[in-house]
Amino acid sequence: MTSAIQIEHVTFGYGRDKPILRDISFAVRTGTFLAVAGPNGAGKSTLLNILAGTLTPQSGTVLLDAANLRSYGVHEIARKVAVVRQEFVPAFGFSVLETVLMARTPYYGRFGFETRADREIAAQALELTDTARFASRPLANLSAGERQRVFIARALAQDTPTLLLDEPTSFLDFRHQVRIYDLLKSIQRDKGTTIVAVTHDINLAAQYCDEALLLYGFAESPDAAGSGRSAKPPHYCIGEVSDVLAPEAVERAFKVRVFSGVVGRERFLLPLGAMAKDTDRSGPKPAGPAAERERT
Amino acid sequence: MTKWWLLLAALALWLVSGYALVRPQEADAEPGPGDRQGPDRIVSLAPNLTEILFALGLGEKVVGVTQDSDYPPAAADKPKVGSFWQPSVEAVIATRPDLIVTLAFEQQKDLARRLGRMGYDRLVVDIESVGDLFRAIDAVGQAAGAEAEARELSQSIREEVRRVRTATADARRVKVLWVVQREPLRVAGRDTFINEMIELAGGENAIGATLYKYPPIGAEEVIATGPEVIIEPAMAQDATESRGQALSYWRRFTNVPAVRDERIRVIDGDLVSRLGPRLPAGIEAIAKCLRPELFGE
Amino acid sequence: MHPPLAPGTLLLRIAIAALLLVLVMFLCSLTGPQAISLKAALSGPASPAIPNPDYEILVRVRIPRVILAALVGAALAAAGVTFQALLRNSLADPYILGISSGAGLGAILAVISGFGWTLWGRSPIAVFAFLGALGTVWLVWGIGRITGRHHVTGLLLAGVVVNAFLSAVILFLVSIARSQHFYATMFWLMGNMTEEDFHVLWIGGGCITAGIVALFFLSPQLNAISIGHRDARSIGIAVERVEIAAFAVSALITAVAVSLSGLIGFVGLVVPHAVRLVFGPDHRQLLPLSSLVGAMFLVVADTAARVVVAPAQLPVGVVTAMIGGPFFLILLIRYSRKVYSPA
Repeated sequence: MTSAIQIEHVTFGYGRDKPILRDISFAVRTGTFLAVAGPNGAGKSTLLNILAGTLTPQSGTVLLDAANLRSYGVHEIARKVAVVRQEFVPAFGFSVLETVLMARTPYYGRFGFETRADREIAAQALELTDTARFASRPLANLSAGERQRVFIARALAQDTPTLLLDEPTSFLDFRHQVRIYDLLKSIQRDKGTTIVAVTHDINLAAQYCDEALLLYGFAESPDAAGSGRSAKPPHYCIGEVSDVLAPEAVERAFKVRVFSGVVGRERFLLPLGAMAKDTDRSGPKPAGPAAERERT
Repeated sequence: MTKWWLLLAALALWLVSGYALVRPQEADAEPGPGDRQGPDRIVSLAPNLTEILFALGLGEKVVGVTQDSDYPPAAADKPKVGSFWQPSVEAVIATRPDLIVTLAFEQQKDLARRLGRMGYDRLVVDIESVGDLFRAIDAVGQAAGAEAEARELSQSIREEVRRVRTATADARRVKVLWVVQREPLRVAGRDTFINEMIELAGGENAIGATLYKYPPIGAEEVIATGPEVIIEPAMAQDATESRGQALSYWRRFTNVPAVRDERIRVIDGDLVSRLGPRLPAGIEAIAKCLRPELFGE
Repeated sequence: MHPPLAPGTLLLRIAIAALLLVLVMFLCSLTGPQAISLKAALSGPASPAIPNPDYEILVRVRIPRVILAALVGAALAAAGVTFQALLRNSLADPYILGISSGAGLGAILAVISGFGWTLWGRSPIAVFAFLGALGTVWLVWGIGRITGRHHVTGLLLAGVVVNAFLSAVILFLVSIARSQHFYATMFWLMGNMTEEDFHVLWIGGGCITAGIVALFFLSPQLNAISIGHRDARSIGIAVERVEIAAFAVSALITAVAVSLSGLIGFVGLVVPHAVRLVFGPDHRQLLPLSSLVGAMFLVVADTAARVVVAPAQLPVGVVTAMIGGPFFLILLIRYSRKVYSPA
């Protein structure tokens, strides 16, 4: 049971005295699909960038395949980890196919041209993300959702054992949300890829992911204003999806009332605000865990 | 990785072989002219050089002049090889010259250097003062095989100048402001050949020693220096118009003696801006402005 | 819109462009303020008794100039492509990071100090301009690094500041210069092509060609970097190293170009843009084609500059702007429609 990624006592903040992540430790086992959730500003994207090696923590270590991330060169990291970030329109008009092919740059031949294998991998990535029909269109001419799929295709073309995604389905319609999650799941199953996805979509995460990491946000955590002594880091928790994304935890993290229902093996959670039609169906302010479980 | 080393090696090889193929020439050895009996086809790249050549009796041999070489009148008919500021190397070559004479301004010196590298004989003279003029006449005479004529010319110029000097020797020096440009106001300073001409004509530059040769000055200094005569050079054909403009410009300086006494003079620019054989005429023109009574205005 | 590049297509396009360049160079060397005839020129070099001005003009004046124009045009265009990729901005040109004002300062210092010495028969202006250009680039790069994280923005700002400061210094020096120095400097600043010695062309040509080939080697990485440096890094590209290398090489070839011919604008901005509009943004193609087109463009512009108001000569920079501007406008209108058409 090896860990693809392991984080030990990582602390990171953009300013000197304002840590966003404090003393976080966890391991992602190889071949696991981990969802990272939490309120805005909790540090999800930051954590993802630390895993990808783009940001360096102020203290603590990140281990990739049991070796310190910092000991790897950029090229080696790219062979193990592919990252999908928020979509954007680049300054120059590269086409979809050109953009996806670029992921194969480190593997180009001597004169800087792609090989047939590269082209095949790219074509397959386009097929999997249903973007093959825009292959020759420049990115600027696509919708945000289509562009998002292109960025995912590019990461797939990198053909790595680990995949990190930052809100990959935020602009996608239902059909494509499900397609992407199906795709990720099948990659996990067929290739044993380790997947870490930051997502706002807790319900889909529950249906597809094995584990979840819930970030409370350091400033908001229960012990933040406390005496300062704490045995274990309070501002995140990680574990099985059903444990971590439990209604009370979600309500506490997001500071919102949720309605909780059962689908089959998993729950679904629906946030209900004061003006929502069914607002009386959501639970009262969390009194205690026992009261919650009774309600469902 | 290998392609980078290959590239570096190729570049090194290229540079080394270039050095081996062509040793960079030690140019500007200034071999100069004079190794033949005398050039038959001479190109002049400055109007005063043209005047010198003609004054030395070499007018027939001149085969190319710049566009502003208009004196003597015969010079205006010669083929043009560009302007003083932009001589054309192709036009010069097309005249098949034996000798090219230029001044020491950067663009002309550069052209001379380039032509020298192509194997042409050239002579570069620096004419920035009256003394330079005589040396230049000697140099040109030597290069063109006209030493005797050169000595004669220098002699006659010296005598003419002396004549004007003696005429003004006893008189008091007149304070002159020499205005080369009106907006912004720029005058000729002490370190110029114009200053020499002024002094030879019996005048004194109203401006004291300055850092620049042609300093821009302000109205205060005009008033402070209190010139008795203001001289502005202008193109001959624009003389009347320039005079009108000058008068209307200077009218506001009512405290200046030159304005009060209405001694603002416009002078033929060619006569005084070309340091050449017409130097005495130029000095006399200035002297006429300063001491009209001595020169019968 | 543009299918991805195949090596065969690229080679073919480069070959055609190179042939066109040679043709243009040949035709332009026969054009000039003096009418010369090829036949007369070909009858060989002069004997002392019978000078052959046609030969002299063709071989000593025209051909070196045409070669120089091609080299400078190629260098400026290649540097323009690279700077636009590194700064992720298609409005960048090779002078944006202070090279122009640095070179100008070097030039005017050389002119004013009136050094009498020469380096291999060339005036020191070129050497000083070269050193000024490189020194300024180094300064801007240093300032850009200090400002830290957002590297590109830091560079741009540093470039603007340094440019402004040095331009002020240049204006001051020009204002106190003697008129001949002033004119010489202005003339140099406006761009000029003169015939250079064989060894100058050899050295300059070697450096510029090697630089362009080096940039071609970096083209796949430039593709990725021009999309975004974080993305490029995730793909596995050593972004810092590539940026430094590309930056250094383009700065070097620009400095060489500027020291050879003064400041010629527009080529480094318009040619990459135009070629990108027609052929797409893939730098493996954009770089070599822009170099060849830049060479052609400058050769034609220089010839026009010499001929249009003969026997006087327009500054080449004026001609590049006058030709380049309208041409680019037409291109923009025609090809923009293609870009934004529905799928």
